[in-house]
Amino acid sequence: MSAVLENEEILEGGSRENFTQMAGLDTGPVSVESYRSPELYEREREQVFGRAWLYIGRIEELPNPDSYFVKDIEVRKASVLVTRDKQGKISAFHNVCSHRGNLLALQPSGSQSRFTCAYHGWTYRNNGELIGVPDQGRFFDLDKKKLGLKSIATDIWEGFIFINFQPEPEVSLKEFLGSYGEVYAGVPLVNNHQTMVIEAKFNANWKLIADAFAEAYHVPKMHPATLAPGFAHPVKNKFARPLAGLTYGLHRSFSAYGDPEYVSPPDSHVERLACKIDTGSLLGADLSEEVLRLRAHPGVNPTKLPCWSADVTWIFPNFNIDYSPGGYWTHEFWPTSYNTTRWVLTIRMPIATTVRQRLQQEHYAARWGEVVLEDVTNCERIQKGLESGAINVMQLQDGEMLIRHSLHVLDKWMEADTVAEAMK
Amino acid sequence: MTAHQSLPKGFEDLQPFVDYWVRDTSDERWQQRSKASMEDIQCFYDAMLARAEDAIAYLDAFPLDRMPDDAACLFKLLLAIGQAAIAVEMHRQPRAHHSNFPHGINISQGPKFFGG
Repeated sequence: MSAVLENEEILEGGSRENFTQMAGLDTGPVSVESYRSPELYEREREQVFGRAWLYIGRIEELPNPDSYFVKDIEVRKASVLVTRDKQGKISAFHNVCSHRGNLLALQPSGSQSRFTCAYHGWTYRNNGELIGVPDQGRFFDLDKKKLGLKSIATDIWEGFIFINFQPEPEVSLKEFLGSYGEVYAGVPLVNNHQTMVIEAKFNANWKLIADAFAEAYHVPKMHPATLAPGFAHPVKNKFARPLAGLTYGLHRSFSAYGDPEYVSPPDSHVERLACKIDTGSLLGADLSEEVLRLRAHPGVNPTKLPCWSADVTWIFPNFNIDYSPGGYWTHEFWPTSYNTTRWVLTIRMPIATTVRQRLQQEHYAARWGEVVLEDVTNCERIQKGLESGAINVMQLQDGEMLIRHSLHVLDKWMEADTVAEAMK
Repeated sequence: MTAHQSLPKGFEDLQPFVDYWVRDTSDERWQQRSKASMEDIQCFYDAMLARAEDAIAYLDAFPLDRMPDDAACLFKLLLAIGQAAIAVEMHRQPRAHHSNFPHGINISQGPKFFGG
């Protein structure tokens, strides 16, 4: 079930669609307990993060045979080693030596075909095989074949690498992504781009920051200077009502309004100076020609209305791939405890070829940093408000439908004994 | 930061801003703007804006990845106006309204060429 606005006329007075009910969701108040309960967080760790497919990185992070990276996934208390072997196969392992449990690879990334434990020198090939045990003869019935690195299920969709901590995942990545995987297949992502990364560690439940990116209702009030001028309109759409709200099984997306006539204000001299570069959007860093290809994809900006600023697509549970006239970026919202989060924002952009383009990118980076700061500070305040116990439910309007859908899906995973049941 | 950083000939008027605003990464430029007073940000913004087109024209003569030291110094100073603009053109104060500083946020990887 899904809904999109059919023409721009409707938007003049704001969207009159009811995305919430068209997606089959209830309209009542929603419990805030899972944002503040340590017990529910422990359950999320097992039921959700222990069973769902989780995004771990892009294939470009493993550019060559023998490339690898290591990432900590705090919510699973795991250090994950992701490798590309000589044949090009990408695999993930627990980054833990089979001898006595030490962490194996100690650098965040690099290129090597084998890994040697710093403790006693046990050595593994990057396909996980144990190939060397110093003074092996002094062990008792050691079977090296059975002592390779503990593997973690891995699969790839459109260059995005996912892992699953179930020893044998109940569903494949393809089944897990379902119709989302079909709608967004083939979006032209430019893979020779550089990445800009903003990381934030802060004191709020992970869902609060995911929720912040799930609606534009807060943009005029929360980001009055950094975003609102381009993402709302003082007359046509002053509350930044969305163009579309869609669900795809476990996953969801919304299309945010954008003022197609936005120009830098006359006194925004640096913005005007920097934006003489031909980007697809004043608020992006991708070049126009690439953005035209992105916009042509049927899944991107499904309404095809010109008054569009971004699609937020939220892959359950904690990953966003967002498309905009300025390019694309991803969010990883990683819980580190019930009330702390590590957020990784990765923005793709071309490598600058001129001084002015590099200045435009600096301005873009600065704007993003400030948006992150506004949202993080805001989430920390919400966490305090919720932990005070003053309210037990939150009120969600139609433009906040993605939050309702997220909590609805999370509830099912929290309750269900099997993934198959959770996905019904 | 190197001890002696000088600007190319013709840009001496910007020398007073070098010590504070010339930084190697996007993240450090963000920090510097966030810590500065509005008066200092405005002062740098006005001076650098007045010379920005000149600076861009001058720097365009060099490859981005192989700039002489004095040109690199000017380039980094120019990039800092991207940060100053956030305060001057958007917030009209050094940092976002109702925001915390310091905070646990970093531009851990900036754009190539003096982004860190």
